[in-house]
Amino acid sequence: MIKRFSVSLFFLFTLSCLLLTHVHAADVPAGKKLAKTPEAIEKGRVIYYKRCSFCHGLQGDGDGPVAYQLIPRPRDFTKGLYKFRSTGSGELPTDEDLFRVISRGLPGTAMQTFDSDKIKSGLTEEERWQVIYFIKTFSKDFDDPEFNPYKAVVNVSSEIKSSQAGIEKGKKIFQEMKCWECHGDGGRGNGPNSPRLKDKFRGDPILPFDLTKGWRYKGGNTTRDIYLRFNTGINGTPMPSFTDSLKDEERWDLANYVVSLQKREVNNNPVLSAKFVSGELPTDPDNTLWGSATSIDVLLAGQVIARPRWENPSVDLVTVKALYNAKEIVFLMEWGDRFKDTVHNPEKEYKVSDVYKGYVSWEDIPRDIGNFRDSIALQFPTAIPAGTKKPHFFRGESGNTVNLWVWKSDLEESGQPPVEEVNASSPGQPLKIQPPEGQQVKGKGVWKDGVWKVVIKRPLLTEDKNDIQFEKGKFIPLALNVWDGSNGEHNLLMSLSSWHYVILETTVPMSVYLYTFLGIAGLGLGEFWLVRRVRRSG
Amino acid sequence: MENRSKTDGFKLGRFWSTLITLCIIYLIIKWVIPFVSRWLTGLPFPLPVPGTLALFYIMLTIIALYVYISFSEERLEEFLTPIRRLLLGMYGSRTRTVVLAIIPLLFGWQIYSATVPKVSSPTSLRIQHPSSNFPKDMEALKNPLINPGDAEVDKFIEEVKGNNVQFIPEAMGEVEKVKGKYENILGFIPTESMQAFLKDMKTGNVSRDKARQALREKYLFEGKILYAMNCRPCHGDSTGGDGPMADGFRLRPINFTENGTIETIVEGYTFWRVSTGGRGLPQEATPWDSAMPVWKADIPEEYRWRIIMAEYELAQKTPRQPEKLAEGEGKK
Ligand code: HEC
Ligand code: HEC
Ligand code: HEC
Repeated sequence: MIKRFSVSLFFLFTLSCLLLTHVHAADVPAGKKLAKTPEAIEKGRVIYYKRCSFCHGLQGDGDGPVAYQLIPRPRDFTKGLYKFRSTGSGELPTDEDLFRVISRGLPGTAMQTFDSDKIKSGLTEEERWQVIYFIKTFSKDFDDPEFNPYKAVVNVSSEIKSSQAGIEKGKKIFQEMKCWECHGDGGRGNGPNSPRLKDKFRGDPILPFDLTKGWRYKGGNTTRDIYLRFNTGINGTPMPSFTDSLKDEERWDLANYVVSLQKREVNNNPVLSAKFVSGELPTDPDNTLWGSATSIDVLLAGQVIARPRWENPSVDLVTVKALYNAKEIVFLMEWGDRFKDTVHNPEKEYKVSDVYKGYVSWEDIPRDIGNFRDSIALQFPTAIPAGTKKPHFFRGESGNTVNLWVWKSDLEESGQPPVEEVNASSPGQPLKIQPPEGQQVKGKGVWKDGVWKVVIKRPLLTEDKNDIQFEKGKFIPLALNVWDGSNGEHNLLMSLSSWHYVILETTVPMSVYLYTFLGIAGLGLGEFWLVRRVRRSG
Repeated sequence: MENRSKTDGFKLGRFWSTLITLCIIYLIIKWVIPFVSRWLTGLPFPLPVPGTLALFYIMLTIIALYVYISFSEERLEEFLTPIRRLLLGMYGSRTRTVVLAIIPLLFGWQIYSATVPKVSSPTSLRIQHPSSNFPKDMEALKNPLINPGDAEVDKFIEEVKGNNVQFIPEAMGEVEKVKGKYENILGFIPTESMQAFLKDMKTGNVSRDKARQALREKYLFEGKILYAMNCRPCHGDSTGGDGPMADGFRLRPINFTENGTIETIVEGYTFWRVSTGGRGLPQEATPWDSAMPVWKADIPEEYRWRIIMAEYELAQKTPRQPEKLAEGEGKK
């Protein structure tokens, strides 16, 4: 009796723990909503001053000292326009909507989570309510009973679970509703209308979301979140609401389709193993041999380490594969890039000023199509490090140089060899191109529907002392630099990764099998002998 | 006799209890010790028991168990009986075949996995707060902005009186915008100490202490702007090491809210780190993996101190106090 009781108690306990952690991890308030009092607003004013004003401005105009370096810019609270709501298109957000945004942040933008459960020095629930009441004072609309958001909350029906048929229907709706005009056929955010879109806050350029990036959804990446976006639209942006044009069920189907486009698992393994191939290596990205290779996802950040610092990079993930044979090694890099940029105007390049004035503003560099090329570089140390000591992952240092293979789309487009072999000994110096006889890297890049696939190949060993030499079974550091031309990127305005490793997989030596066999056989014989002995004696 | 058969139902045979003891010891070495070590050392990772030491422990255990079992004839007999029964096929010949097949296969698997070439990421131990190339004279360095001298405070009071307080250029855009809205230019700072100071200023009798606090608030305002412009992309708004750029760096930007980061170092050390960045680190701290920028070329010294003030405030931490060297030497 007691036993059964304690067992059920245990289950109850675990269940409630699970539920509790669930509530905590969510962005809905766990406690009671704080009453809106003048004191709460005053407390909110101090919190806002201390934590939000640097971006959103002391006046709430979205133009604080940091705003110039960000795209999208911090929200202008005086306009009363909010993107992520549970209310109809054009309506104000509820307090709970604001609570959600402030608690979870907006991935892919400078707006971060302020949840003190996630970050010790974040804001407690009480503090979040206080700051919400304060930011609402910036717009008179919140005082107008006519605009009461609670009257405009959209209807959310019960979720229709994902099914193959539903996804098929959703795919059709994606075509019919012309989502692709902005988001592109594959959802990569590269539709024909996408280069021209502007937001309604300041008329800043805005890009349709790349729906495949499951980790970057601002309003949440679940079916329900996306369904809600269709019901509410995204105020201040070209992304409309679809309540009038789509039936409720269709919105669920569409949401399930969008979820099916998402890449959700990121394989952030630091080691890329290159598989051995006995025959010829592939030279084009769509070769079936690539199916047998293992891949890793390399995460990248904006280059914010040295001047000119750039915090609005476009490429945040590159999938890399590698294969090798007796003579050569080949890499395949694959990443999302909305537009194919294949020209380069050196005279438009950004000039770094002598005085440091902070990060580069996106408004100070040409970001339309047709100024700068797309490009990617693989970086290795010039020699395999003997111990743990490596060159710095950001272009090495003098006496400890790096070797880069820079693929350039403009060279590819004009039919020249697209990859340049260069060396670098610090981020400050221009890259040193190796002489023509040192150029042994071949490459090919193909852009299709918002994705670049670039193959780069080189002999395993070269005579050149400025080249990395590939030896089997060694961990060879590898890092990436990527440029998206239509995002204004060139030179040090780029995305970069830290050191990862590539290792040429060695085949298992025969001796290993031999030892294993001997071990098994020896022990088996021993057992045989034992059984016989026991039989005889017993 | 009766007693014995009664307990038999509950008691494990000698053989099984020995086997279980071995398993428990193994589990302790493999999991419990690393777990406890993590708890004891406060390090963010468990310290595994080194392979040879683990082997040594296991051998010791086996020897101890052997001595214990073979100590009396009866015990040994009890231990060996199930083995003998198995070998004679008394538990069924199928059981015997399975067990006899599994043991060499397990052994083979051990040999294979011990000898096969492995692909695991090379880990290098890293020291977060190395001292080998930290200039000793920076140890006692103090943030000059936290306790401004009387002359500086008096100058500030004069500026406030004349309503011409100076700000760093990065703050000017904002200050210009709110200028007309407040009686005094500093009115936009809503913190208690600033508002109390401004109230006293109006009545004309103001203490240096309050003015000093207000001046500190002004520096903090500037420091937070500089932090948000320069450090936030990596270290994050709330100094949680989670800025929008953080995921791209394998050696993550430090989470200043965590114990054992900026609270365990003296201000001079923080200043040195901010000035010389990742590249200024010695070998044992793997400078090649650190994205931490070298700020001395880009941010003037007095701005770096403002940032450090803001950094500690945002993280809700205080720096370690330098040991009073002079005092210690005096005692000697
Ligand atoms: C580092 C700069 C930064 C800081 C600090 C910051 N924000 Fe933001 N915030 C942004 C940016 C950028 C956006 C716009 C993102 C977008 O449009 O996609 C934003 C958007 C918002 C939105 C609008 C969400 C919507 O649905 O439209 C709210 C509300 C908000 N921030 C509140 C706050 C509060 C409250 C704080 C302080 C606790 C704060 N922010 C601190 C940068 C910041
Ligand atoms: C006129 C262009 C346009 C059309 C048509 C359009 N979108 Fe969008 N969509 C956008 C833009 C721009 C954004 C990005 C808003 C932002 O970043 O703040 C967006 C964002 C989104 C998001 C991401 C929300 C988030 O959480 O970050 C989803 C999902 C989405 N759209 C789906 C769709 C679907 C499905 C359709 C068709 C039914 C569609 N969109 C039609 C322009 C469009
Ligand atoms: C490019 C990203 C980046 C930026 C920008 C950046 N940091 Fe760092 N910082 C790091 C990384 C990564 C580390 C951890 C490695 C190391 O200790 O060098 C670090 C470490 C530190 C440490 C050492 C903490 C400790 O306990 O050892 C301090 C202090 C620090 N940063 C302060 C700053 C300040 C102040 C700024 C702005 C002026 C700043 N950082 C800007 C990436 C960055």
